[in-house]
Amino acid sequence: MTAATWRLPPIPVLLVGVMLIACAEVGGASMVQFKLDLTRWARGIMLARPQVHGLVGVRDVDEQILDEALVKFDAGLRLFHLHAEGMGTIIIVTTMVASSVVGHGSLRRAIVLLITAGGAGYPLGYLLWSALIPFQGIARGKSVAEWLVWIPFGGAAIVAMWLLAGALAIRAIRAVAGRSRVAP
Amino acid sequence: MVAVLALLLTSVSAPVRAHHVGAYVPRDNEVSANFKQIKFSAQVQKFAVALKLYEDGALRRELSRRAPTLPAGLDASIRGALTAGDGPAVEAGLMVFFAALVRDLALEADRQLADARTAPAVRVAGGSKFLEAIWRYYNLVDFTVSQRDPKAATAVRLAFEEAEGHAKAPTPAPERMRSSLTQIARILAGVIEASSLTRRNS
Repeated sequence: MTAATWRLPPIPVLLVGVMLIACAEVGGASMVQFKLDLTRWARGIMLARPQVHGLVGVRDVDEQILDEALVKFDAGLRLFHLHAEGMGTIIIVTTMVASSVVGHGSLRRAIVLLITAGGAGYPLGYLLWSALIPFQGIARGKSVAEWLVWIPFGGAAIVAMWLLAGALAIRAIRAVAGRSRVAP
Repeated sequence: MVAVLALLLTSVSAPVRAHHVGAYVPRDNEVSANFKQIKFSAQVQKFAVALKLYEDGALRRELSRRAPTLPAGLDASIRGALTAGDGPAVEAGLMVFFAALVRDLALEADRQLADARTAPAVRVAGGSKFLEAIWRYYNLVDFTVSQRDPKAATAVRLAFEEAEGHAKAPTPAPERMRSSLTQIARILAGVIEASSLTRRNS
């Protein structure tokens, strides 16, 4: 494969990748800037919903429950930042590979669409989980985020990656077979 | 090319499969953190430091707040022991304080577990949270309790394990948890009483 064969993915796809990285950076900066306000807000919401979080009205017990929920709330924001940065890059690189090496038009479009949608949606699950923790609790919030975002969007990204891997493998096998036919 | 693809596949598939949501490690609260500061200072014979940490710390504030349920003169005896540089007496005073905290938690857990207006599963879930808090505090003084009253220390640990077993049972049984918790409260009340008698006699 030569440098001349590399092709740019569609512009909207590139825009999604870049936007996702930008969101990750803004999210990370906001997380640091408003850490205290976010923690106060989440704590206030949780204290207003004692039954959701299993608060028992005893400080020695409740402080630990609140602390765990706040740690997970913060972890969700951090994981959004981390995954949005990573998936933004992955969208750009893998769609470039797909655009350059997958010859079959509909397969290429499917791969690019699945990677873009899956990759862009998946990190938002962490943001959703974080937002749900104060209202629904850690476990219930995680379950909602899993079924609404992580499984469908993450699944789409995995399927796209396997399709791309399969397409690359077939291309490599054909190339090897072609070389062996030419060789004396 | 293959290496780049393998790297990309790994980086995308790992978070999807694992759904990393972070691990939570329970942290010390200000009372248990202050207890450790005092204890470690006393252990290395830095009693002036330990006294300052005690007088300005969260442990003493909590002790003052709970004074009505604690043995009379506990604050004075801890301060006296710190001033005199008497390590074992410091440990004994702190042990009484935490034993009282655990006893009160066990009694409150028992009261909440008895509340028939709440569903048994909810009561047991709440009871489990109490058990976590009980162990966090008891664990701090378990060694001191076992040195002074090995039978009581073993009985507390057994009652705790029994309560944990009931909490994890497939069918929620708040009544069974209650018996273990009242046993913990009763044993620790005995430990507190015995320590108070020792203090009065010495």
